[in-house]
Amino acid sequence: MRPTRALAAAACAAALALAADVPMSALARSFPPLSELPRTPLIFQDVAFASAGLRAAGADLAWVQMLQYAADGLDVFPGDSGYDHIKELSQRVTRLDPSFHRAYLYAAGILGWFHGVDRPNEALDILLEARRLDPGQKLYGLYIAGLAYKKKGDSERMVALLDSAYDDPQTSSIMRTILANIHQERGEYDKALAIWEDILEHDRDKTEHGRARVQIPKLEKLIRERASKRQ
Amino acid sequence: MPGPADAASAVVFRGAGKVYRRSHLGRVTETVGLAGLNLEIRRGEVFGLLGLNGSGKTTAIKLLMGLHLPTTGDVSVLGRRVPDVEVLARIGYAPEAAYLNRALTGRENLRLFATLSRIPGAEREARVARMMDRVGLGHAIDKRLAEYSKGMLQRASLAQALIHDPELVIMDEPITGLDPLAIKEVRALILWLKGKGKTVLFASHDISEVEKVCDRIAILSGGRLARAMTQDEWRGKDSLEAAFASSVTRTDGVGEIRLD
Amino acid sequence: METIKAVFDYTLREHIRHKVWLSGALFGLVLLTGGLVASALAQEERVRMLLDLGLAAIETIGLVSVVFLTVHLILQEIESRAVFLILTHPIRRSHYLLGRFLGTLAAVGAGMAAMGLVHWALVRLLGGAGDGSYLLAWSCSFGKVAVMGALSLLLSLTLTSEAAAMAFAVFLWVLGHFTAEMRFLAERSGNPLTRAALTAISHAVPDFAHFNARDAWHAGDLSVGWAAAAALYVLGYCAACLALSVQVFEQKEF
Repeated sequence: MRPTRALAAAACAAALALAADVPMSALARSFPPLSELPRTPLIFQDVAFASAGLRAAGADLAWVQMLQYAADGLDVFPGDSGYDHIKELSQRVTRLDPSFHRAYLYAAGILGWFHGVDRPNEALDILLEARRLDPGQKLYGLYIAGLAYKKKGDSERMVALLDSAYDDPQTSSIMRTILANIHQERGEYDKALAIWEDILEHDRDKTEHGRARVQIPKLEKLIRERASKRQ
Repeated sequence: MPGPADAASAVVFRGAGKVYRRSHLGRVTETVGLAGLNLEIRRGEVFGLLGLNGSGKTTAIKLLMGLHLPTTGDVSVLGRRVPDVEVLARIGYAPEAAYLNRALTGRENLRLFATLSRIPGAEREARVARMMDRVGLGHAIDKRLAEYSKGMLQRASLAQALIHDPELVIMDEPITGLDPLAIKEVRALILWLKGKGKTVLFASHDISEVEKVCDRIAILSGGRLARAMTQDEWRGKDSLEAAFASSVTRTDGVGEIRLD
Repeated sequence: METIKAVFDYTLREHIRHKVWLSGALFGLVLLTGGLVASALAQEERVRMLLDLGLAAIETIGLVSVVFLTVHLILQEIESRAVFLILTHPIRRSHYLLGRFLGTLAAVGAGMAAMGLVHWALVRLLGGAGDGSYLLAWSCSFGKVAVMGALSLLLSLTLTSEAAAMAFAVFLWVLGHFTAEMRFLAERSGNPLTRAALTAISHAVPDFAHFNARDAWHAGDLSVGWAAAAALYVLGYCAACLALSVQVFEQKEF
């Protein structure tokens, strides 16, 4: 190829690439910019993954770190007590990959309904951000409504909503355990027992099998005691 | 431009010059590789190119192979002005060292060059096997070139130069580092090629070998043609060694050995 | 075409027989196994994590391999002078370059495909990736590798220093993931010179920010239109780099 032909070919090919880039960038999924990544001690890890085009993998690693934090196994926040930073850690995951719905729901579940946490406003912040980025995910709206009912004190409607989301694949195991505990607190031991037995039966909830084995005999005992009192 | 006379010539250098320009930190250095070479090599002859290291032999060869572009003048090979990709199918080039890809086997290596030289697919494998036998490498055809000895690599290099039955064969320092038996074989090969009507360009600084096989020679010194001689001339009054010694100037920065 | 095929063949053989290729493939398998172990920590998202880590490993190994191999591709043949013998045969320099590039891409692609098969089998064992999105994600990674290969080749011929070419290649790869940010800054810049420079750079570097099925596939909204545009983009970008490489290579003397 003579030099002038090579340059002409390069120009044509570059024009093709530029022309193809227009629809490609218009149709591509957009992600939150790096400036929106929460400022945690792990921010360099997040930036490194994003810079390498490995957002999904970075989000996965951030998810594992959030689970470790929830299980009290991640020591990056000095002086942290309980779930102080669960919101930021969930936002690490979701601002790297907004389609990681489970991370939003997991954190919102803990913040909204976990015993001793009770930070519904932060849960609402997370869910509103989630719905803004991905309006198609129906669980976000459902959880927002659940929180609203909780604030109003309407536990009947709140429980009905959470029950309706029980079998959704995006519902985390921890949310199922929260639901079981809510039923137990309301004295609905049969429903609580059914949930724990269901958890024990399914591999998807493997992480909660240990707790299920502890809770099932307790609930069976409570049911027997109630039955004998009635007699 | 190549003229009608070029059709009878294998190679024509017409005022061909090559200047190497190197720029480093803003300074430009120019080295003359070849300066205004006028030389003609006729078809069917064995032509020797003699000269010291750095005299311009390899530069001249690279010009006619299209590896370098002339700064001045032009070069024609087999009637075509170079660089010309098509004429390369009619030239066989055996460089001073075997610049072969060691990851390949002897067969794969030669098959590659046979394909590049446009040998039709139907006869390619047969010609590869025949050529490897002919250069004495039939037993090692499926061994990797990395396992070949230096002599075997030279043979493999020769094989790629000859497989396509070229009209013009260029050998750059073909006997450097060879043992006397191998030198004799190369000499026999050159004479055999001549007997088949091929043109052979043989670059060397080994005067004794050049004397034995060449019809004509050119002595290069400092990038210029110092002297051209025919066989009659060096077999007559002037010996080739004396003519060579009187024609060349050292340009490699090395002085004479003093015997006082 | 035959000359391109001949060069392609010998290049592919050369790479596959090289220990570096084997080491890269083995290392890739090690990374995949590591991903299988690490993904167990992800609880309900095990399949997702295995998918993401595996594809990330395949892409990273592919990228490192292609940059290393293409940067050394022509420079090493020039250094060993093997290129002399090739170019003294009737082969156009453009054909030689194309054959070498395609052979290298095929070698890297073969490694990535082998890793992809193993990875996909692992993911299927755990119940994931039943649809065609895996192939799309793998193809996009391969497209990225192809673009980086073509770019590295151009850099190696232009810069003539292997270390500089590799460093530049990595830099451009990272910069390519920030094209969205660059265009955003360009839009908001008040200075016309800055705006022009940022726009030019954001289009000159490979647009990896918008060419990443791997990061977007969990959202499940990758369209046929996007895939077609991405394929054309890869073709165009590679062709432009290769044509410029030919331009540089044609001027080279050996």
